[in-house]
Order: sequence, then structure tokens, then C-alpha cells
Amino acid sequence: MKTKYLALSIILAASVSSVHADRLVIKGSDTLGAKLVPQLAEQFKSQHPGTTFDIAAEGSTTGIAAIIDGTAEIGMSSRRAKSSEVGAATAKGRNMKPTIVAYDGIAVIVNAKSPVKSLTKKQVEQIFTGDVTDWSAVGGSGGKISIYTRNTSSGTYSDFKELAMKKRDYAGSSQKMAGNEQIAAEVGRNPNGVGYVGMAYTKASGLKVVPIDGVTPSVKTVQDHSYSYWRPTFYYTNGEPGGLAKQFLDFTVSSTGQKIVTRVGFVPVK
Amino acid sequence: MLDLLVRKKIITDQEAEEVRAELTKEAATTSAGKWKLSTPITELELYGDIRLRYQYNGGRTAGDTPVAAPGAGVAGLHDWQERERERYRLRLGLRGILADDWFFGVRLETNASDRSSNVTFGDDTSSSSAGGGGPFAKGSDGVDVGQAYLGYKGFKDITLTGGKMPNPLVTTLMVWDPDINPEGLAEQWKHTFNFTFGGGRAESSAQGYSKEGGKGVVATQAEGEPFKLKIDVFANFAQFVYDDANPENPLGARGTTTANGVGTQLIPNTDAFLLAWQVGARFTFPKNIYAQIAPTLYNYTGNGDTFNVHFQGGDPLLTNSASLAQNQTGINSLLVFDMPWEIGWKLGEIPMRLFGDFAVNLEADDRAAAAGHPGKGDQRYAYQIGAGLGQLKVKHDWQIDVWYQHSDQYALDPNLVDDDIFDGRLNMHGIGVRAGYALSDAVILSLSYNYGWRVDHGLGTGGMPIAIGINPLDQYQWFVADLNVRF
Repeated sequence: MKTKYLALSIILAASVSSVHADRLVIKGSDTLGAKLVPQLAEQFKSQHPGTTFDIAAEGSTTGIAAIIDGTAEIGMSSRRAKSSEVGAATAKGRNMKPTIVAYDGIAVIVNAKSPVKSLTKKQVEQIFTGDVTDWSAVGGSGGKISIYTRNTSSGTYSDFKELAMKKRDYAGSSQKMAGNEQIAAEVGRNPNGVGYVGMAYTKASGLKVVPIDGVTPSVKTVQDHSYSYWRPTFYYTNGEPGGLAKQFLDFTVSSTGQKIVTRVGFVPVK
Repeated sequence: MLDLLVRKKIITDQEAEEVRAELTKEAATTSAGKWKLSTPITELELYGDIRLRYQYNGGRTAGDTPVAAPGAGVAGLHDWQERERERYRLRLGLRGILADDWFFGVRLETNASDRSSNVTFGDDTSSSSAGGGGPFAKGSDGVDVGQAYLGYKGFKDITLTGGKMPNPLVTTLMVWDPDINPEGLAEQWKHTFNFTFGGGRAESSAQGYSKEGGKGVVATQAEGEPFKLKIDVFANFAQFVYDDANPENPLGARGTTTANGVGTQLIPNTDAFLLAWQVGARFTFPKNIYAQIAPTLYNYTGNGDTFNVHFQGGDPLLTNSASLAQNQTGINSLLVFDMPWEIGWKLGEIPMRLFGDFAVNLEADDRAAAAGHPGKGDQRYAYQIGAGLGQLKVKHDWQIDVWYQHSDQYALDPNLVDDDIFDGRLNMHGIGVRAGYALSDAVILSLSYNYGWRVDHGLGTGGMPIAIGINPLDQYQWFVADLNVRF
């Protein structure tokens, strides 16, 4: 009998411990998770001592999958959930609720030494689909175009395909990178490189942002949607969030949170 | 719509996103939402038909065929062979439009035959026979690829298609069985010209009418309505791989054959191609009047390894079995000019039309000579003329077609002609009647009947027997009752 009580006590203690652990699991988008969310988390922790975060930024697909599987409280995503993902969530009794936490512009970047000063949307499509393979075809000084893209679990990967490529496939020669920073680094090193990154990653050295149809991504052009490759970014939750997840979401969209959004390089919601 | 509401500041981005998520959720739980299509597909159509059929075929031997006395399995004089079958047909297809002006199509059909997708009920072997079976076995219920093609429409007015495709040519049952899906390449061009003459005041109407040399409709002109003429000009070209030779380059020296009866020949080693050149036009006048004509030239190149023996087509001076054993499929000496046409109008609300076809084999003399009938080169013509009333489009529609058809022994390719009319034979003429009624938008009940007679009694009736093992086929009749569900 004593043994039974002991076991019960341990289970209860463990349960109580998990409820009050103040640990928030966030998974998903590299665009959001590499810079913005960690900085939001740091600020949030300073206001909520004892809170811990487990942030895994491996692509929007992993964030949405985590909500479907119930392995995270917040799924970061730089794209909307696909119909198939929503269907899978519904089948598991989950409700994919999106909350816009920031806007972003997907910037097309080239090496700082590139003579390319601007591109049209058509040229961007031609470059990334492989219709043109030499810079001379789009105003450059010649040389084989090296294309850097995100990998397939990235929301930016599918967003860019939809926004800039009429949903066509990427060129077979394109090189897939794990994150925005890797793309920025590769383009910064390669004079013939071209890629795309979220606005927060355009300050890396050795690269420059190319205006598209004469418009450069900025807070203003994203907010007024004059920049073609703008998009909302999301926190996905299983229905209305509660507890720590709600507190962190509310913090993210608060004026304090949105200041951080701006400081990191995203476009604020408000 | 959501974007518009956001732009108008009627709702916020967040509210739009929540509505969008709800719509996505609703769509994802519908049947359509569960289908996942690959990104390059911009449009996909599932279509097909299921048909139940009762079919009767009957053929009569000639009165002058020197056969043995009638007995079991032996043809007698004026002896009828008859078959009754209950059958079904399933055809299931997908047509898709892809990004960048590409398209594709596939269709599955329930018969490996080129000229039929029918499966006969109860024709499986018994369970006790070799290979098993049983009364409701699936031995004959196969699924075959009837169509598999892709194409490109990126050039203005032009469609390029390759593969096993729906027939790209304008044609009739006299020349092509509609079940045949030819294999190879096709290039189609079509351009529409629109003309408007007259209109407005009566004087200018009269002037417009005069310019057209009296071809317009006077009553229309007098009312001041412009006379509108639409002309669809088209050209269809096809290069069909008729018969693949295998191998083109055999090990060692090429073998020889005497199959053509003209001494020893090297076995042919080139593929056979059917080439078609068609140009035509469809004139659409006011008041639903139209006329279409599509002159076509067919010729054959190469040999292949199946159809390279000279066509003979049967002989009434032989026994039935010997006549049937003659070559019925050779495609030698075929250079066929064909001209299908159709004229249509409306009588009140009832569509009416006249249709027909005329074909002549410009190499019929050579084909007749190779068949052993050098004096029969005049057997080179085929023609069809018919009339139709009504049109099957939606529920309660009806349609009746009646036509006469005549095909000389050396006029056409016997491998392509429709197999329902006269059992796929040449040297036959006769009538066809087809009547249909739409029980619903998707369900058609139709009855069809053909009766044919031999044309030249000095010749057999060339072509592989489809249902009736008689050559010459002195008389023939065919009746079917179909219940066809289209989807």
C-alpha cells in the first residue's frame, strides 16, 4: 500500500511540475525563428522570470506539423497552412488558428558587385525557373547565374514560388539552403549569385537588394502592398491559445513586441 | 474578395486571415479538397462513359459460293450465321491542362481491340477448363490504355499532339472507326475569320448583299440586321506510326519471304506510317446554318512487319475458309483522297443536317492487280450520304440519323473502317439507321440498325471478320440497343 501511495505521489508531483514549468515550445519558420522570435523571447523572459523557451526554427512546414501533432504550442510560419495540412489537422481534431504577427517582404538579393540594378517580375520568374541562365539576358555583364533558394520545408520557398514564379518549379540547378542566413552568405560570396531572403536578412555583408519593377522592399512598400513579394507571417495555434502561449502571442502583437518586430527588420502589424 | 475587403479597410488583415483559414478548413473537408493535384496541373477533367448493349450480328453466305453441303461448321448456300451478345463498355479518362500551354490526356478502356471497348458478358471459360474461369470470371474484363497523349498549344492557332490520341482528323464512319485512337504525331491549325456585311439602313444592306454576289440571306438584310459570317479554316496533318518493324536490322543477312506471291523478296524492315493531309473550312451563317468540308489525302509509307503482304480480300470462287484465309489487312497501293462534308440548319428549334463522304483510292488499279483481280481497278470509290434530325445534348433531346453507304473493295483501308457497319468489310453497300433519346442529361438510350449487301459479286468482302466468319459476306445486318451513361 505504501508503495502505491509513493507512486501516486510521484505522478502527481510530476503533473504539477509540468503544469507550472512555464516552458513554451515553439517550432517552425526559420524566417521568424532565427532572429525575431528569440529576441521576443528574451524580452518576454525579462518580464516573466522563470519562463523558458524551446525554439526550433527548421521551416514553416515543421511548425504547422508540430501543431497538427501537438508537439508545440506555437507553430511559426511564413506561409499559410495548406489545404492538406488543415485537412490533416481537422482529422486529428485540431483547429489551425493563424495569427498575423508581422509582415515581411521577400527580397531578391544579388552580390554587391553585380551590375544588375533592377529586375522585372518576369525576369525574376525567368531566373528562378531557369528560363534564363546567364546574367547577360537580364541586364548583367555575363556569367552563369547561381541560384540559391530555401529548402522545401520552408514557407519562404513555397511563398516565393507562388508570388514570383507562377507556381512553376525552381530551376534544376538551384541550390537549396537551410536558412535565410545561409542564402545571404552564399550570395555575398558569389558574384554570380542570386537568391531571396526575408527583409530581416538583407543587412548581411556583400549583397544588395534588387528593386522589383522599380520597388524596393521596405516598411512602407510592404504595408501599402506596392512591393509585389510581400506576405504576412503567422503564429499558428490549436484554436484559441491559452496560458503561456496566449501571453507570448499577446506580447508579440503588443506595442513592445511590434517594436522588436521593427527593430529586427520585419514590418509591424500595427 | 477578402483582399478587396482589406484594401477597402472594411476588415483587418487578421480578420481576413481568420476567414481564409475557416474557408480552407471547410474546403479541406470536402471531397474536392481531399484531392491533391500536382502544381503544374491547372485544370483536370475526369470523364468517361459506361454502356450496356444488346448486340445482334447476322451474315449470309453467297448463293454462288462453291462450298460443301451444309453441315456443322460448314457454310452452305445462303446460310446465315448469327450472334447475339450482351455487352458492356467502360471508358474512363483524364484530360489535363498544364502550365505553359501544355496538355495531356489518358483514357482507360475495357478491351484491347483497336475498334472496340466492349466486353461480352458470360464469355469466360468454365471453371473446369484449362486456365480456370467460372461463369463470372474476369478473364475478358481487362483494362487497357486507350489514349495516352501530350501536346502543346503555345503557338497561336496551333495544337501539336503526340502519343496515342483521339483522332485529330475530321472524318466519318466510312473511313475511320471512332473507337480507333491513332498513334503518332498530329499538327492542327485552326483560325477563325469573322465577317459582317451590311446592317443599318436598307440601302447599305442591299449594297452589302450585292457585294456578296447574292450569297446572303435577303430577309435578314431587309431588316437592317448585319449579315454575319464566321469561317473556321483548319488544317490537320498527321504522321501515324501504323506498324513498327522489328528488328530494323536483324542479326546476319535479312530473311526472305514469298508471302506476296511475286517470287522471293527480302523481308521488309522499315516501319509503316500513315500520313494524312487535311485542309478544310466550316462556314457558320446566321440562323444556325453551317457547312463544313474537309478534303483529305491519305497515303502510306514503309512496310512494317504485319501489314506488308498484299491485300487480297477474299474470293467467291474459293471455299469460305479459303476465302477468309486470304490476306485481309494489307495496306499496299493505298493513296486515298477523302472528302467528308456536312451541312446543318435548324427547322424551328429542331437541328437538321445532311452529311456525307466521298473517297477514291488513286492507286486502286495496282491494289486490284496485286489482289489477283487486275480488271477490277474500277472498284475504287466509297461514298456515304445521310440525313440527321435532332441532337442529343440534354434530357429529353432526341436524334435520328439515316444514311446510305457504299464502299468498293479497293477504295479504303479495311483496317480503319467502322466495324459496326458491315462487320468492318469492304465491297459492301447498305443503309444505317440510328435513333437516340436522352433519358437524362447523362443517359442516352439508342437503337441502331444496319443492313448491307455485297457490291461486286465477282469479289470477296475484304477486311478482317469482326463478328461474322463469312467471306464473301453476301448480306449482313447488325442491331444494337444501347444504354449509355456519360459522365
